Amino acid sequence: MKIKKITSLLCAFAMAASLFALPAANVKADSSDKSVVVTMPTTSEPESGFDPAFGWGAGEHVHEPLIQSTLVRTTKDLTIENDLATEYSSSEDGLTWTVKIRDDVKFTDGEPLTAQDVAFTYNNCRDLSTVNDFTMLKEAKAVDDTTIEFTMNEPYSIWPYTMAIVGIVPEHAYDENYGQNPIGSGRYIMKQWDKGQQVIFEANPDYYGEAPKIQKLTILFMEEDAALAAAMAGQVDVAHTAAAYSDQELDGYSLMQVETVDNRGFNLPVTEPEEKDGITYGNKFTSDVNVRRAINLAIDREEMIENVLNGYGTVAYSVCDKMPWYNDEAVTEYDLEEAKKLMDEAGWVEGKDGIREKDGEKAGFTLMFNNGDSVRQALAEDTANQLKELGVEVKTEGVGWDTAYDRAQSDALVWGWGAHTPMELYNIYHTMNDTGLAQYSPYANGTVDNYMDEALKSDNLEDSYDLWKKAQWDGTTGITQEGDIPWIWLCNIDHLYFVREGLKVADQKIHPHGHGWSIVNNIDEWEWE
Amino acid sequence: MKTINQRQRAKILLAAAVLFLAAVAVAGVFCHDAAMETDFSRKNLAPSLAYPFGTDWLGRNMFYRTLTGLSMSILIGVCAAGVSAVMALVLGLAAATLGKKADSVISFLIDMVMGIPHILLLLLISFAMGKGLKGVIVGVALTHWTSLARLIRGEVMQLKQSEYIQIARKLGHSNFHIARKHMLVHLFPQFVVGLVLMFPHAILHESSITFLGFGLSTEQPAIGVILSESMKYLIMGKWWLALFPGIMLVLTVVLFDMGGTALRRILDPNSVHK
Repeated sequence: MKIKKITSLLCAFAMAASLFALPAANVKADSSDKSVVVTMPTTSEPESGFDPAFGWGAGEHVHEPLIQSTLVRTTKDLTIENDLATEYSSSEDGLTWTVKIRDDVKFTDGEPLTAQDVAFTYNNCRDLSTVNDFTMLKEAKAVDDTTIEFTMNEPYSIWPYTMAIVGIVPEHAYDENYGQNPIGSGRYIMKQWDKGQQVIFEANPDYYGEAPKIQKLTILFMEEDAALAAAMAGQVDVAHTAAAYSDQELDGYSLMQVETVDNRGFNLPVTEPEEKDGITYGNKFTSDVNVRRAINLAIDREEMIENVLNGYGTVAYSVCDKMPWYNDEAVTEYDLEEAKKLMDEAGWVEGKDGIREKDGEKAGFTLMFNNGDSVRQALAEDTANQLKELGVEVKTEGVGWDTAYDRAQSDALVWGWGAHTPMELYNIYHTMNDTGLAQYSPYANGTVDNYMDEALKSDNLEDSYDLWKKAQWDGTTGITQEGDIPWIWLCNIDHLYFVREGLKVADQKIHPHGHGWSIVNNIDEWEWE
Repeated sequence: MKTINQRQRAKILLAAAVLFLAAVAVAGVFCHDAAMETDFSRKNLAPSLAYPFGTDWLGRNMFYRTLTGLSMSILIGVCAAGVSAVMALVLGLAAATLGKKADSVISFLIDMVMGIPHILLLLLISFAMGKGLKGVIVGVALTHWTSLARLIRGEVMQLKQSEYIQIARKLGHSNFHIARKHMLVHLFPQFVVGLVLMFPHAILHESSITFLGFGLSTEQPAIGVILSESMKYLIMGKWWLALFPGIMLVLTVVLFDMGGTALRRILDPNSVHK
């Protein structure tokens, strides 16, 4: 009897306590607090662990590896500054890169970081990496304790952008399980990883650079709706969110928007249809350059951003807007009348139902998006609505990634790109040796190829920017509106976060594609007020 | 005052259910284009007179979308259940009449299909068929025949022993004649009721695999797609995206079930005089 009473009393107490505890959850402690809880999409969790050879930092979504340090890093305006490196240079022919590194850096297990570790890291990445391209690297060699020499297979002037994302791993502590228990020399140490839930980082007390202000970083992996719920409950300090949720008012949180080069656009195959190995390459309707130009003119990007992104985005005219290698000739103002004129010239005349026709065929194409991505779906639908004004019938279709790549060779697909390296231009527009066409959507232009090859051969990074720009438009040919326009770019999607009041998130560099790790690139500079 | 007896009530119920379902199925087909239409100037609207079920984040009219979704579900369900029922009939008859070996093979097949968790088998078949409309129809059709087949097999086994069949055989009628004249007539009520009661299962399973992402693709106005999309917006208080389509789905399934039960009352000789 007595025990029952005590239990019920305790229960009552517990309930009362939790009642009091609830409102307190929204109030974060004072500036002495040095921990931060950040949410990220579940896709940001590195499946193969925190190993640069398997995509950590250097994968599809580039970011700073935090646990490890890199030779150089990208600055806010996306040029290069030294990190581990004290100086670097390339030979005249661009086939050798020599990097000198600091001698006072230690891994968190106390061992010093030497050129040997750097060479090991790069050779290891070259041999194992499946997510990032290291084929241009022949060999990395330690000349002495602080000098590394990279021998290249072919000139690669943008090598510093690769050096900015590859975290240096310790040769003495590296095995196949490294990704689960990473050791590095970076700003943070990984303390705990509960797979499918969270990762906890603590500041590295022996970090060679400026000491991190935030001592403990907890990353929670969850979907956007769960992140919103967590912010509503006051459980997180920074919650990633999407434009669809941006009009929610959360007590104690404000909405932060970060500019990005996280772009969305769609490909238009430029060749005539042709079947090879069961895959169709090319599309009859979009193979006409005037049709592609008309489509580019008929897209009202501002309206699209308002419609789909609630205004949280910037217009995109290329895959690399705002990057140092962006050519602003790509800018194409919305002009429906001009677009209609182009379609008329191309022989597509308006039919009875408002859809244009030529030789009995209707003007139109299929625009695919990957199932489950509501933003890409909305962009596809809005594109369809806008192109209807032009008299082009766009059929939207949700597809899975298992079939999307093959089908994009003959139909348009909404893609998301954006990286801190001009290599992205190469990946999208440069032809491949075996097919003579670009990888993701059939396209080939020898002049564009040449500029990019030259840019890679250039012995100076700054000079190469000019060549990258010329690859986009050199005055006579290129990939812009006046050129071949094989891809239509729509917008850059702002990355949105609910940030707890009192937390000062340090200035962000323009985020690349991927709504995950980029936000914590400079977590060491964040502060509580 | 004249009272309505149970049999009449069953008839009225059946007529109402059939009428409603047919109306939804037909209306949905006509609304298909309107259901696909997006208009960003009217997105995220709560239910009103103009948009009784509200609109979603693409400005699509949820009323049309729900109608079309239900109609697709009903058509897919009817189609798949029809195929399934015919399979059940053929296999059940074959098991009962073609001798011991055929019987054991078919019984094994029934046990095997029943032994695999239903939704899992559906997913596997649908995925193997390349998802989409074809995957769903084949998946639903191939997984729903088992219990009806078993029922028909048992029924035929019993019939074979019954006296009037034995007498017919003694009188020298051929197997085919017996099957057509005596057995099929007897089996018909069971078969039709079994078929109708299969519809709600088929509809629910069509929606669930689409909900799980293995069915129709996401631009389609399918009820499973609507419900899975609505999950993302529930937290923002957009209750209408899930509530109305959900209620309509339940209503459809319940109506099919009630219609099936009413049909049994009407067809079952034992309840003729109620």
